[in-house]
Parts: sequence; C-alpha cells; structure tokens
Amino acid sequence: MAKDRRGGKPEWYPLDNAGVLYSAIQKENYSAIYRFSAVMAAPVDPDALQRAVERTMPRFPSFAVRIKRGAFWHYFEPNHAAGPFVKPDIANPCQPVRFQEDNGWLVRFYYYETRISLEVFHAVSDGAGALVFFKTLLAVYLRELGHIIPNTCGILDVDEPPRPEEREDAYERYATVKARRSGLEKKAYPNTGTPEPFYTLNVTMGFLPVDQLKARAKGYGVSITEYLTAVLLKVIVDKQHRERPRREKPVALAIPINLRAWFPSETLRNFILTVRPCIDPSLGEYTFAEVVSQVHHFLRLNINRQQMQALLTGNVKFTTNRLLQIVPIVLKNPVMALGYRLSGVRPYSGTYTNPGPFPVPEEMAPHIRRMEVILGQATNPRVHCASISYGNTMEITFAGTLQETDTERDFFRFLVREGIPVKVESNRTVRSELMF
Amino acid sequence: MSYCVNCGVELDATASFCPLCHTPVLNPGQPVDEHAPKPFPTQRGEVAPASKRELALLITAMLASVAVCCGVLNLFLNQQRPWSLYVIGAAVMLWIWFVPPLLARGMHLLLRLLLDVAAVAIYVFLISVDLDGRSWFCGLALPIILWGGAILLLLGLVLRVYRRSVLTSVTILIGSVGVLLFGVEFFLDRWLSGSWEPSWSVVVLAVCAGLTIPLLVIRRVPSLREEVRRRFHL
Repeated sequence: MAKDRRGGKPEWYPLDNAGVLYSAIQKENYSAIYRFSAVMAAPVDPDALQRAVERTMPRFPSFAVRIKRGAFWHYFEPNHAAGPFVKPDIANPCQPVRFQEDNGWLVRFYYYETRISLEVFHAVSDGAGALVFFKTLLAVYLRELGHIIPNTCGILDVDEPPRPEEREDAYERYATVKARRSGLEKKAYPNTGTPEPFYTLNVTMGFLPVDQLKARAKGYGVSITEYLTAVLLKVIVDKQHRERPRREKPVALAIPINLRAWFPSETLRNFILTVRPCIDPSLGEYTFAEVVSQVHHFLRLNINRQQMQALLTGNVKFTTNRLLQIVPIVLKNPVMALGYRLSGVRPYSGTYTNPGPFPVPEEMAPHIRRMEVILGQATNPRVHCASISYGNTMEITFAGTLQETDTERDFFRFLVREGIPVKVESNRTVRSELMF
Repeated sequence: MSYCVNCGVELDATASFCPLCHTPVLNPGQPVDEHAPKPFPTQRGEVAPASKRELALLITAMLASVAVCCGVLNLFLNQQRPWSLYVIGAAVMLWIWFVPPLLARGMHLLLRLLLDVAAVAIYVFLISVDLDGRSWFCGLALPIILWGGAILLLLGLVLRVYRRSVLTSVTILIGSVGVLLFGVEFFLDRWLSGSWEPSWSVVVLAVCAGLTIPLLVIRRVPSLREEVRRRFHL
C-alpha cells in the first residue's frame, strides 16, 4: 500500500465489504445513494455553507475520496480536486453518481430555502457515519453564521486531525469467528409498480409527533422501529391480498442494523447488516397485532452479537476468497450484481431503515426545525422507506421510481386510523386522474 | 391548513392535490397558497450520460494490437499468402460494430446499420482478395450482403418507429426471414446459372407465410388477442 508523503498514512485503501457490493451494482441508471437533510430555522446562506464544507471535508478523509477501478476490485484514493461545491437543490434527488464526473466526488451538498441536504454514495459510508459528518457540518455552518456550538453530542472537532479508527474497516476487524452464510431466501412479493422515465424519483414525506407514535407503539409493547416495520409489512400484505394472486408470496423487508451498538467501533465507513422480518400470508390471515408480535420477536431473536458476527464473517470471507479475488473486476461485477438480485432484491418487498433520533447540543437545537432522510432509488421500481426523528417530529420518507402511490398512501392512512396525526409533503407535481 | 378528505392527512399549504391519492384540494376557507415556496424544488436536475470512452479505447487497443501482431507475423510465417487479412478484417469489422456506438451515443439506427453492413462487406471483400475471388464477391456476396442489409434496415425502422406488440414483432421477423431467403436464392441462381428458377426458397416462404397467417389473424381479432395475452402472460 503506497504511503502518503505528508502523514505517513495509506494513500489508497480498499473498499469495505458493503462498499464492494454497492460499487458492483453501480450502473448507468442506478447508484446506491441516500440523502440526509436538515430544515433550518432560517434560509440557508450558500456562501457560509460552502465555507463550512471546505472546513469540514479535511476532517473526514473517508468522505473526501474518489473511487477508482482496479484490475480486481474498486478502491478509494484521496480526492484533491476542487470542491465539492454546494449547489441549488433539484426536484429529483439521489441521482446516480458518475465516478468520472463532478471531479470524482462521491458526496453532494444542496440547499433550498431553509433546507441543507447531503447526498452520499453508499460505498463511502453508512447512515450512522454520514450522520456524524452531517451533524459536524451543520455545527460548522452555524459557527460560520456566528453561533457558538460546542463539540458535544457526536460533533467532531474540525480543528483536530482525523483519527485512523474513523477509517477502519470494522467488518474485517470483527470477522474473527466461524463464518456462516445465509442461504438463498424465498422470493418475496416484489411490490413493484409502473416505472417513471429516467431520472425521476418520487418522494413523499410524512411528519408525525414522536410522543404519540411512541405511545401507540408502547401500547403494543414494542419499539417505534418495530411498530413502523409492522405497519409497513401489514400494508404490503394487504396490498398483495387485494391483487388476488393465485398464491400469495411472503412479504419481507430489509432492515439495516447499525452494528456499532454490538461491536464497538468509531468507523465512519460502512458497518451494517440487514435482517429480514417476514410475514407469509399463505399460512393464513394475520391481524395487525399478530404482525407486530411477529416483527418484535423476530428482531429480538435474530439481532444478537453471535449471529451477526457469524454473518459478517461469512460476508468478509466471501470477498477474501482466493478464487474470487483473482477474477477480473469486469467479470466479477456482473456476477456480484446477479448475486445481489438473487439475495438482495428477490427475497424482499422493500427496505425500511430508521437511523433513530438525531441528538444535537442545546445551543444548536433552536436553529434546526426538523431532519429528513431519503433512501434513494431501488434497483427495480419499488418504494424504499426511511425515517428519522428530531425533537418531537418523526419524519418518514417513501421514495421510489414508480408512478403508483399505493404503499405510502396505505401506510399513512393506517397511521391516521391508529389516531396519529400525519402531515404529508411530496415532490410530485403532476396530478394523475388515474390514481384514485 | 387543509386535510385530504380521503386519506385524513394534513397537506402542505401549497399542495393543490393530495400526493397520496391525488384528490384535488377544494378548501374555500383556505385556498391553495400559490405564492409560498413549495416544500421541494421544482427545477429538475439532469444526469450526465456515463462516458464509454474508456471502454471504447480498451476495445480499440485490443483489436489494433491483435491486427498488428498478426500483420507482423504474416511477414515471417506463410509469407506467400496474406492470411492475416482474415484477422485484420475481423478486427476492423468488430471495431466498426462496437466502438462507434460507444463513442457516439444516440447514434441513429439507420447510420449504425449502414456501418454494420459496410463492415461485413469490407470483411468479405478482404477474404475475396486472399482467395482471388473478385468475381464471386461482386456477383454473389455483395448483392446478398446488400439485400440482407436492406431487409435489416427496414426491419429496424419498422420495429423501432411503430408501436408494436410482441405478436406483430414475431410476425414481421418471420416474414423477413422468408423474404431474405427468397432473395438469397434469386442471387444464387442468377450467379450460378444466369436464370432464376425459384425452388427451395418458395418452400421456406410458404412455411413463413403459414406461420404468420395465424399470427396475423390473432393480431386482427381482438377477442383472440385478449385470449393469447391472458394465456401467455408473464
């Protein structure tokens, strides 16, 4: 590994386990991109935001990278090009990334009215890592505006040099036990719809009071994540049932789990695994209470240190397989993309991710009105669901490249029927007469 | 604030319809605010098309390298015959097939097909040079290539321009095969004997016609078409 002349740190580094996958499934019309946004109390000052980006990026070298194609694997190298530059926001977020364009930047910054948005290519970092970066950026931005913000609640000091632990490949560090690979799961109900023309991403956001949501979830004896997962499963099960298929397929969701809670790590790169709560309607009808119970027990039973470590070791072993390593990248990527289709798309009806609350220092809280998250397009026309809470506002986003709104409509109607008030906003501007 | 009468969700003050069920907002007490900024920008962003130059360069380098290596080898091995023309011709043909479409995105189908047919003609011409077969190239190979190219062009245009169902596409394809072989026999006969006596190609044409007639009937009769759609849906 080449050494940097200044700091003696590695000049380039290989992608982590999840990054390998996200770079392999990268296509001209698809990239694994997600977005975090903060709606501020005052309109955004683009100049101050640009200054904040320039001060923050050097502190986060794992975000200031470009991706290069080697003979066998992609790899990251530091990006010393100009930028990244903040840009006015666009109607169709989370556009595919081009490795050669935009000076090779894999992060993007946007502003619109009071909203600051950060988009990240998933090979660079997961949601937890990106939130540390975003929170620090917001703190630096507010400091640029003259506010005094302390470095607490996970905000990193941009005057300190970056620490090597923040760039570690945590998968590799914990891949120390006997490996276990989960076999191919059964095909799930795909929940797809009519695709929009390239590139359109329909985004619908719902805003709910956290206290009422928590009270409702508590009524079932579950957490908010479990409750919302169950609601999503239930509405997809009902949607499939309304379509009256000859044989109902299982409905399963991919729920990313932040592994840092089980395996201590300060990495700002990827460190996630997904679990697959599933309801099989061919076994009979499930009431909502039964779905909630299934989800609750499934997640509690399957999210444990031993099982997750065996799984992540299995994934790491897969990429360190000698035979696989010597296959050129041009042959390996299509095979990995096919593997992703079979094991990452086919057995799922959708994805739901909840990074949880976004705690900020008291001094920062009055300047942020709410937080938003968008999980970019899926590889097929289906919706992804993501949520984030800030203060007493839980924001839930449905985003996808399909025309129909069935999933999000049923989801929010369900919550309204449960007695939780929901406010909805969307980037859809065309009203279709055929939709209702 | 307005609520959707169907969904029961609160809507943004600027929303003229519910984004979930598309029901229009009709609230005389609070009309849609058309001046306040929308919750999301309305300006769309464009994604730059991915560059294929690298791949084009790689293919060019590989084909050129093969052509040069074989050309040089021909100077030492079996010098009396220009055998390397086969390899060089194949390299040129493959280059014309794959590289211009990579460099010129959105190249017109007509131009692309013309180039492809020209590439085949060049390759066969190089073979004819080695075999000293100028007469069969001009009298047989070139007319057949041009005939095939013309049918391919027509097929490409018909399949691309008109909205067509799978049934129509299959019908056109089968019909094209029949017409192509009919022409091939015509050129063969003319070159071999100087006269035209249609024989095997008429059989092929009849088979193709036999295959297309039921398809055409199904295509024309809505009830049959619907039945086929139902039974063979994927």
